[in-house]
Amino acid sequence: MSNEKKEKINMDPKYLIKLTVTLFATCVVVAGALGFVNKLTEPNITAALKAKTVAAMQAVVLDENSDFSEQLELSADMTEAALANGGTLTEAYEVTVGGEHAGYTLKIVASGSQGAIEMMVGVDAEGAVTGVSVVKNAETKGIGSKVMNNDPLKSGVGVLDQFAGKTTADLPLSVGSNVDAIGGATVSTKGVTAGVNAALAVAAVMG
Amino acid sequence: MNFGKQFKEGLITNNPVLVQVLGMCSTLAITTSIMNGLGMGVSVLIILTLSNIVISAIRKIVPDKIRIAMFIVVIAGFVTCVDLLLQAFVPAIAESLGVFIPLIVVNCIILGRAESFAYKNGVLASAVDGICQGIGYTLVLLVMCFIRELLGAGTLMDIRIIPEQFPIGMLTLPVGGFLVLGCLIAFMQWALAKSKNKEESK
Repeated sequence: MSNEKKEKINMDPKYLIKLTVTLFATCVVVAGALGFVNKLTEPNITAALKAKTVAAMQAVVLDENSDFSEQLELSADMTEAALANGGTLTEAYEVTVGGEHAGYTLKIVASGSQGAIEMMVGVDAEGAVTGVSVVKNAETKGIGSKVMNNDPLKSGVGVLDQFAGKTTADLPLSVGSNVDAIGGATVSTKGVTAGVNAALAVAAVMG
Repeated sequence: MNFGKQFKEGLITNNPVLVQVLGMCSTLAITTSIMNGLGMGVSVLIILTLSNIVISAIRKIVPDKIRIAMFIVVIAGFVTCVDLLLQAFVPAIAESLGVFIPLIVVNCIILGRAESFAYKNGVLASAVDGICQGIGYTLVLLVMCFIRELLGAGTLMDIRIIPEQFPIGMLTLPVGGFLVLGCLIAFMQWALAKSKNKEESK
């Protein structure tokens, strides 16, 4: 490096302005094009996201004819209740059957063995879990993914299905005492359990 | 311009992954299933071709000093377009590729080709180069996906080929990616050296 001549910096203002303007113009053109593409794809992306959320919620409620509200506003109490139990509350929806209140569906993020596990937990009006389904995860294929796919435990019950019917009275749920783990996937099971704990706590706060 | 020569370079003698050893991160990370590989390969092919075309078209007006910044802006624009389009029309692929689509921006294959080819050659040659290098990248991804999905998960395109208890699960993990890639690079170098020796002895 030492015997290399240092490149002379051209400080000519005209040259500098030319550089700035060229770069700026490129950015403006690209930003414009992106705005156009975004406008084109936005409705599709929102619709796909919504359909996915509704499908996930449908999977965790008991009644097929459940209706879901728009996303509820998260109060500080709710998010704190979730955090205290090892999960992060990201979305909450009210479930109604034929216009009557039938509980909530809560989207919770908890930490698994390979990063975050995003799950949807349904809680009925009495505060009992109606179902758990994993929306997004990065658990190890063939090990943690067994938990995500609801593989059966030794008892034959699906690992996610075992949470159905649990209430705040069962809190805190923990692997080994009142939750069974899939062999080799204890950390992933613990992640889901933390999420369910958080969901039950949030539902208790919401009443 | 020599289409045949460029094609052979992109595919074999100057293959972006196996010879130039570019784009390792995405190659290792997403090659766990054939659909992933295909989605990623085609995305890179499209972005590479489009960015090569645009960069070679603007190469005369781009000041030398800020060319890298200009390249990145152009590439990032195309990547974001492709990302949005994938999310809107093939959400399944967008989801399984996840963060690796936005990361194409910093995929060295694209910046490498922009700097070493598109910046010095005409529009048509650059387009051909983008397509050939893209195909070269896609093929390597597919070969890796094939090996890792078949031997690691026992499936191909999600259809079970090998019964569940036999596959070597390790191959779908990062360590399997390194092993498969290492073997492929070694094989490629061996094949290239062999054909070179043959030519010399003639």
